[in-house]
Amino acid sequence: MTDEFNTVSEDELHAYVDGQISEPERRRIEAWLERHPDRAQEVREWQAQAAALQHHFASYARDSEGDRALVSARRGRGQGVASAPAPVLLRIAAGLLIFAAGALTGFYAPAIVSGDRLPETAENPDSLPRQAQSAFLVYASEVRHPVEVGSDQEAHLATWLGKRLDYGLKIPDLTAFGFSLVGGRLIPVNGTAGALLMYEDGSRQRLTVLLGRNSDNRETSFRIASQGDLETFYWIDGEIGYAVTGEVPRSLLQRVADACYRQFEGSEGS
Amino acid sequence: MSHGRDDSEAGADASAPDAFEEDVLTLMPALRRYSRSLARSDTDGEDLLQDCVEKVLARRQQWRGVNLRAWAFTIMTNLYRNRHRHRALHPEVEYEEALGLVAEDQNADPLQSRRLERALERLSVDNRSVLMLVVIEGYRYQDVAEMMAIPIGTVMSRLSRARRQLAEAMKDDNVIALRRPK
Repeated sequence: MTDEFNTVSEDELHAYVDGQISEPERRRIEAWLERHPDRAQEVREWQAQAAALQHHFASYARDSEGDRALVSARRGRGQGVASAPAPVLLRIAAGLLIFAAGALTGFYAPAIVSGDRLPETAENPDSLPRQAQSAFLVYASEVRHPVEVGSDQEAHLATWLGKRLDYGLKIPDLTAFGFSLVGGRLIPVNGTAGALLMYEDGSRQRLTVLLGRNSDNRETSFRIASQGDLETFYWIDGEIGYAVTGEVPRSLLQRVADACYRQFEGSEGS
Repeated sequence: MSHGRDDSEAGADASAPDAFEEDVLTLMPALRRYSRSLARSDTDGEDLLQDCVEKVLARRQQWRGVNLRAWAFTIMTNLYRNRHRHRALHPEVEYEEALGLVAEDQNADPLQSRRLERALERLSVDNRSVLMLVVIEGYRYQDVAEMMAIPIGTVMSRLSRARRQLAEAMKDDNVIALRRPK
């Protein structure tokens, strides 16, 4: 009979499990549960369930190296809205043609290739090719974790990085040169979110393709920057800068860069 | 190429996060855990997390300066709900089916983890959000009611349903990863 007046509601049982209850209430419910084994059984189940859930998701409460880039990714975007892609592409294409023609004749070498011909970027340690080379040196030597998302999730990789860059990213296919995709990662470029794609050939020789938002709206034709044996071909196309880096012969890297350029061209307009 | 090196100017340095961004950064672990607890897989969770961070930053003007954590959790909950609705209309390719259920904890029983994940799949979006906010994130019922803009009685009934459904699903030895349309 006392039980009728001293009953415990369903809500109170949940509050008991979740610890959202005062100490006297807790003791009262505990006593009640002793007299109601069925409900006590259910409560134990909920407690076990809560513990399992907490345990299962606990390890996710952590920072990730991409967080900083993610949080700062919004800045720098929005100012450089749609910078008339057509003329830019035409100019790039023209530069590419000149470059290709030069490459064929061996003519371009002194004019374009020497790094010190590029005063606006060569001295700047944060320039696109320098960032691309640092990224290469850091990540391409990683054996176990060179990328965040592997090539087995290529479609997801493109969507994910494309979303972070706010750009319809198409991942270049470099199998024609013997390089297959390893995967990619989010990486800070020019202080905002950028993407690093990594490729590898049969001998584990690696190449990286870096994409970053370009804040100051320059356009360049193909350029090259060297640092020891490391070569970087790069170009900036309005909103996005691209850099292909590797410790491979310059002629091969140039063909790879050329292929990337043509495949990225189809990525525009997202 | 005017003043590229002059980082001392206010706002000139694109790499230094401002105070708001710093606050968001400190929330990242909690947001990551919450997004993962709502999602079907690690990839799915990271995706939701990133959408949430984008939205939080995009709407920073709307934040009233009180309890950024609860505000961000509310945005996450709404995003999760919208995604789910969208997904029901346009089912996606399940690229993460084989990859996502990797237990981070080395000591966890992978089968048990998988069972739990599958059982969670059976919960409705709203019941799951309430369960995670209470059990994992430790929010009080009243806070959850405010975050989700629902009466506290609804919080309680969702919590109750989530617990019963989950217990039911865990008991079932033949849990199949069937997703109901709703």
